[in-house]
Amino acid sequence: MKKLGIVLLACFFFAFQGLSRADEIMFGAALSLTGKLAKEGNLVKNGYELWKDTVNKKGGMKIGGKSFKVDIKYYDDESDPNRGAKLVEKLVTEDKIKLILGPYGSESVFATSAITEKYGVLMVQGGAAADKLYTRGFKNLFGIYTVATEYMDDTLEMLKNKSPKPSTVAIVYSNDLFSAQVAQGAKASAEKYGYKVVFYQDYPKGTQDLSTMIVQIKAKNPDIILGCGHFQDTIIIVKQAKDYKVNPKALAFSVGPTLPDFVNSLKGDAENVLGSAQWTMTLKYRDPVFGSNHEFVKMYRARYKEDPNYHSAGGAAAAVIFQKAIEKAGTKDDLNKIRGALSHFNEETLYGKIKFDSTGKVIGKGMPVIQIQQGVQKTVYPEDVAEAKVVYPKPQWK
Amino acid sequence: MIVLQILINGLLLGAFYALIGIGFSLVWGVTNIINLAHGAIALLGAYLTFFMFQQWHVDPFLTIPVSFTVMFIVGYMLQRYLMNLVVKAQIFILLILTFGLEIFLVNFMTTFFSADFRSVTPDYAGHSLILGDIVIPYIRMAVFFICVAAAALMALFLDKTWQGKAIRATSLDIEAAMMTGISPAKIYALTFAIGSGVAGVAGTLLTLTQAFSPNIAGGLTLRAFIVSILGGLGRVEGALLGGLVLGVLETFSSYIVGESYKNAIAFGLMVLVLIVKPSGLMGRKYYAEVKH
Repeated sequence: MKKLGIVLLACFFFAFQGLSRADEIMFGAALSLTGKLAKEGNLVKNGYELWKDTVNKKGGMKIGGKSFKVDIKYYDDESDPNRGAKLVEKLVTEDKIKLILGPYGSESVFATSAITEKYGVLMVQGGAAADKLYTRGFKNLFGIYTVATEYMDDTLEMLKNKSPKPSTVAIVYSNDLFSAQVAQGAKASAEKYGYKVVFYQDYPKGTQDLSTMIVQIKAKNPDIILGCGHFQDTIIIVKQAKDYKVNPKALAFSVGPTLPDFVNSLKGDAENVLGSAQWTMTLKYRDPVFGSNHEFVKMYRARYKEDPNYHSAGGAAAAVIFQKAIEKAGTKDDLNKIRGALSHFNEETLYGKIKFDSTGKVIGKGMPVIQIQQGVQKTVYPEDVAEAKVVYPKPQWK
Repeated sequence: MIVLQILINGLLLGAFYALIGIGFSLVWGVTNIINLAHGAIALLGAYLTFFMFQQWHVDPFLTIPVSFTVMFIVGYMLQRYLMNLVVKAQIFILLILTFGLEIFLVNFMTTFFSADFRSVTPDYAGHSLILGDIVIPYIRMAVFFICVAAAALMALFLDKTWQGKAIRATSLDIEAAMMTGISPAKIYALTFAIGSGVAGVAGTLLTLTQAFSPNIAGGLTLRAFIVSILGGLGRVEGALLGGLVLGVLETFSSYIVGESYKNAIAFGLMVLVLIVKPSGLMGRKYYAEVKH
């Protein structure tokens, strides 16, 4: 009898909780707020929070002529994807939340999106770039990070019409899964744009020397060198390319140039190196919630006393997209309509012009290209939202 | 021509490996301590150079004496007041102690210097001597000569000075050495100090050719380990040869088989040497006799 009482009480409590906030829309997120991904997890949360307060300050979300305040329920997955999955299950089954904002990290998104798919609730994520997220036939996951295999596509597209026209590409990559996928995609893109791939080889992660590879590349004299690896090997490739006087017309990396340490470590040798970025602070995109990317950066700085990076911007953008789709669907409860609105989403946001393909993967956003110019990262592509012109061909090493 | 270039690259790289290996090999050969913190100690030297370059723009090559002296003192203290407490214990306990020391140092560096990758790029970086088709980067050439000079100096020290002879005597027969008035505790501390000092120098030179963070400590220790096994323990010439062999082997296996296979091939050779000539290429019945 006592047990039944407790159960009834609990039912009341949850029902009450669900009903009491009729003028509010609840989102849920299980993020890594502690543990090894705590830094990124908290940055994504900063993005969500800034979005929430900005929307509420403007009177909330507008659905069918009515205004709704937004709120987000957070859980800490302690950087454990399995725990994240359990917490998302809790959000869905106990907290009755059907709108899930994604966590940070490919493994976490992989695990938690399996839960949202199981319960048929929606997840929009701005925190993972693995291709494998979109090969499972899921209908309820939408992601705004450009995936690994498309990392170098924009760089190659940007370069293809430059003069003197580049025709040959050398691709080197670290032999871990992510870098290998970036390299595979780069090779496919190069062939698509009519380049000839003259050198394609991997190297062990964390290597201390790449002189042999550099000498072999030099013998091929490619117009473009693409490095798909990590910060440490990116530094070695630049240093040894200069040592051995390898002079491609463009030197581009998937990871490295966007980090502030790149210029600190290489000083003048970092000049004119190209890098790929999910997002940069200077992209001139408009945004339906913040007004523009520029405004978002200003508001973020004012609130958190630091510059936003792509983690926090990704969080904010995912939430913006979710909001706009819900408003367009004109309902906060009919998930089929919201899913439809997401599938047909086509709007400019601070993260770029966002559209999704049938697997929920973002298309057409691309990877903005940055170049180190006078020791500063400048966004050089896409040209209509860039702040500077790309320096091409790269001047020869002195 | 490309073969000659790759041979040169291998020798230049090998000299650096040798320098990392010399201190490790000496400490192992004389005190029987497999110092798993060797790479972390080298990184302390690297950070000294990095911060002096960043704060006061001191040329990295000029920081070599500083790295050597500071790490010499650190090494002396570590051995005298930490390792000597357990030096008579089983080798296993020592292994755990140095492993613990490695974890401590890596986390110390991560906390105070951050896990960011660092590198030092002076204005003259990237300039090279060009002889026809052959390119020899000046910095790598300088690193090569410094490594060879350091090896030669150490060989002279061990052969000619009283302390050097005492070190060798201690490693050969500790009881006989004690009878002639040598204090093993002091000699062990001196050996560890020299090993750490040379590791510090290797760390300094590392900043010029690659990027480093506290997390690469293990990789450096591993290189030192291979060099010591290849060359034979406790002998400076052995470590020099071991380093050069490893360097050339790596660059040639990258060229012939593929970059990704170079580590596998290096370890394969190490295993082969252990089977065919367990005392190393230049090892003799001298240093590193297994002690009770």
